[in-house]
Amino acid sequence: MIRLQNIKKVYRTDTVETLAINGINLDIAKGEFLSIMGPSGCGKSTLLNIMGLLDEPSKGNIQIDSQDISSYSDQKLAKFRNEKLGFIFQSYHLINDLQVLDNVELPLLYRNSSAKERKRLATEALEKVGLSNRLKHFPTQLSGGQRQRVAIARAIVGNPQIILADEPTGNLDSAMGNEIMDILINLNKNEGTTIVMVTHDENMAHKTHRLVRLFDGSQVQ
Amino acid sequence: MLKNYFKIAIAVLKRRKFFTFVSLFGISFTLTILMVTTAFMDKVLSPDYPDLKRERSLYVSSMEYKNTKEGWMNRSDVSYYFFSHYVSTLKNVDKMAISSNPKASNAYVNNKKIVIAYKYTNADYWNVLEYRFLAGKPFSQKEIDNADKVAVISEETRKAYFGDASNVIGRYISADNVNYRVIGVVANVSKTVNSLSGDMYLPYTVSTSDYNKPDLMGPYNAVLLAKSKADVPKMQKEFQQMMRRVPIPKDFDRVYSNADPFFSSMTRRIAGDGANNGKTRVVTIMSIFVLLFLLLPTINLVNINVTRIMERSSEIGVRKAFGASSKTLVYQFIVENMILTFLGGIIGIILSLLAIYLINGANVISNMRLSMNLTVLFYSFIACVFFGLISGVYPAWRMSKLNVVKALKAQ
Amino acid sequence: MMFRHLFKLIWNKRKQNFLFLSEILVSFMVIFAVFSFLTFYYQNYSKPLGFDYKKVWSISYDNGLLTKNRDSLNIFYDNLYKSLKAMPQIEEVTYTGANFPYSNSTMSTGLNSNGKKFNPVNSYVVGADYQKVWNIKLVAGRWFLPEDAVTKNKNFIINETLKKQMFGEGDAIGKLIGDYDDKEKMKIIGVVQDIKANGDFWPAGNAMFTRLDTGYFRNNSHILVKVRDGADATFESQLYKFMTNTMKNSVEIQHLSEMRDAKNEVTIIPMVIFIIIASFLIINVALGLFGVLWYNINKRRSEIGLRRAIGASGSSVSLQLVMEAMILATMSLMVGCFFAIQFPLLSVFNIPASVYIVAMLLSILFIYLLVFACSLYPGKQAAGIHPAIALHEE
Repeated sequence: MIRLQNIKKVYRTDTVETLAINGINLDIAKGEFLSIMGPSGCGKSTLLNIMGLLDEPSKGNIQIDSQDISSYSDQKLAKFRNEKLGFIFQSYHLINDLQVLDNVELPLLYRNSSAKERKRLATEALEKVGLSNRLKHFPTQLSGGQRQRVAIARAIVGNPQIILADEPTGNLDSAMGNEIMDILINLNKNEGTTIVMVTHDENMAHKTHRLVRLFDGSQVQ
Repeated sequence: MLKNYFKIAIAVLKRRKFFTFVSLFGISFTLTILMVTTAFMDKVLSPDYPDLKRERSLYVSSMEYKNTKEGWMNRSDVSYYFFSHYVSTLKNVDKMAISSNPKASNAYVNNKKIVIAYKYTNADYWNVLEYRFLAGKPFSQKEIDNADKVAVISEETRKAYFGDASNVIGRYISADNVNYRVIGVVANVSKTVNSLSGDMYLPYTVSTSDYNKPDLMGPYNAVLLAKSKADVPKMQKEFQQMMRRVPIPKDFDRVYSNADPFFSSMTRRIAGDGANNGKTRVVTIMSIFVLLFLLLPTINLVNINVTRIMERSSEIGVRKAFGASSKTLVYQFIVENMILTFLGGIIGIILSLLAIYLINGANVISNMRLSMNLTVLFYSFIACVFFGLISGVYPAWRMSKLNVVKALKAQ
Repeated sequence: MMFRHLFKLIWNKRKQNFLFLSEILVSFMVIFAVFSFLTFYYQNYSKPLGFDYKKVWSISYDNGLLTKNRDSLNIFYDNLYKSLKAMPQIEEVTYTGANFPYSNSTMSTGLNSNGKKFNPVNSYVVGADYQKVWNIKLVAGRWFLPEDAVTKNKNFIINETLKKQMFGEGDAIGKLIGDYDDKEKMKIIGVVQDIKANGDFWPAGNAMFTRLDTGYFRNNSHILVKVRDGADATFESQLYKFMTNTMKNSVEIQHLSEMRDAKNEVTIIPMVIFIIIASFLIINVALGLFGVLWYNINKRRSEIGLRRAIGASGSSVSLQLVMEAMILATMSLMVGCFFAIQFPLLSVFNIPASVYIVAMLLSILFIYLLVFACSLYPGKQAAGIHPAIALHEE
């Protein structure tokens, strides 16, 4: 599903050159649930951003769903992200000025589906995460766990093949964290969605199919 | 403490140069326009050459007949007869300057047309009003009694008529094809002192119209001078009592004429009538106009200030977390805003000086020379404080309500 | 669709947007005022002047020392007319009331036609050669003739505006019109083209012309002459001397071209001051809007990053921000138009509704352009936000 070949990422400022990722090769199969671990600054978020097409590698080759996306334009990349990928972040990144339902509808807005269709799909997604009774709330009126569930609903509403989760349980206590983890595991099992998750938490990581450890930009395991 | 505020304020202003620029632009231009307006108002309202005794003076410039039943009204300037026959009997009037409205006539010199606005005056005119004589002297009662054809001319007229000739006293100037002997030259009078500005001044006795005709309306107006400032209200009262004795003309049932202090005499002309001096109306309309003008820059400044505060919400959060009360923060912000306003004020003064220089240079209103004086500066200072407070209070209130936790979380 | 989404976003932020909205609203009102003036002036400016002022001089004099005897006065004025007309530099001469074009004097009255009152109507009292001096064009009927002095009903002439008001497209010649009190009837004998007597920027208004008869001479104190090309300052001083000798009193000669400049200045100078102040206000507002929008981009980095992550392209993000600003402008404009539309509806200041409508459309366009220009750069900035960085800032 995702194939990374010899990915390198260098950050340049005026004076310093930082090597964030140094030659990573990774093959992720369809339907796999992969977790990436490593200490702070080891490059795991960078790797996830590269997989999510939010960042370009300095060197190397990415294929997603057997498509070479390195030549894609901004427009085409945006469309690709919208249709194939779903994102979950540690700090949720919900739009506080929009109601829960509107937040979840957001990805559909960029693919020209009708208002009715959007509402139906968003309600369905929210049902899946158990929040069908919070449609008209604003994010600020919800708890952390609820917010992350809204974010998951937003990630799955467009029915993507891949979900990229950046420390989804990082801001939550263990009970809530487990709840979120269960949702992701069910998603992987029932819908066959490929999930790549960055985490700090060994317990969470061990619940996934495969664990990749990074250290200083290189894969150690 | 204040020094500390000052330091922080300067640092903040430096950090966000664009916002600082926008704020300063708004403040300085608003103040410039206010200052130039104030300078103009000051020019018009405060004692100005040659009318320097405004505190001791009352102004009589209109005569009004009314027929309240039919709604007719007739308003005009005042006759010489009215002044000589009625007003001169008032005990509180020390001296009275009577002059006619400027009347235009032409003179042709070296194939060039000169327009000369001339006024007829009495002898006391020169005692009440302090014209600056560049050469010669005014005419006295003797010349008036003899109906001598003598003239006092303005500097401008001298230049236009005689060119660069150094001494013009004793030479003749022709207006309406009558030759007048020049006996004095006075400095130019600004057009803003409307009723006193002219190019040439002549004894009223040389006027072709019958100045002693027993009529109340005519082409004259007068400045009544009291012995002291304290006598002015007495003089005004005496004038009002005198008006009751003035016979009401045929076909009418009221007659009005007023001896007003300078400001009311202006407002009466603009917005009043015989019975009402129009002061409230003029002041109200002007205040509304100024407020409307200030509305937009104020909203803009408030908008920018709110933005500036929200941008600094994390700083404010930190301060609050480390024990600053809302009150000190509000205080700090208002001080900051005041500093900004005063910086704007200083730029505004520089811009105003420039604008005044340009206006004076262009001679927009004939012979008007605006100046930046203490009065103008004082009002500008008031405007600065007002502006700074108004535009700082709402944002500061928003700031004081800022939640610490949220402020710290939101970068 | 995107539109509704943005509207929701703005609506939910209405408190934060309140200042922004009120600023645009007040700006709209200011611009509306400026454009109302400009449209009004332009509409009038684009109409023909209706007369030639270039070689016309006015002679004003004090009539105080002239004889009061009616017959002698008629002879006096007859002779004066002949003497002036005989001067080689003078082409035409006419006596006139004080309210000739570009003078600062006005005289108006009311007329009654078919039970309807027309008020005010500028009333010009004119001599026989008035039309020739000004070169006023007749649209219908004829100018005054000597026999008009003895007709049963007083004959008079109206201008096109008044004719349209009274008769629409119908014929006016020969119609009888009631005077101010509807006591006497007067007969229309001609219709002349509108003359913009108050300068280039003011409408002609309703106007009527009546013949200056001998009874009026007692009050007359103005003469208009049309001079030939050779008339210079030397001639003017001769004319001046002649007039002062004739009147034994004060005289002033003015050139109508200078009076016209003075008259136009009275309109132009306040307008220029008004435009300077208004443009300062607008620059101020533009900078403010720009600053606030720009700042808002920084505040919304995370939102923008997220939108990029879930499939918005750079250009769609910048489009979104511009659209948001435009929707905000629209909301203000709707409130503003509600107020502005009252002006034509209530026909405030008796100005044609078209002036207000045009001014409103121009103001709307102006505000949209202003907001668009102010949001363009912040929008571009937003498109440049790197999602990977924006999403990991917190």
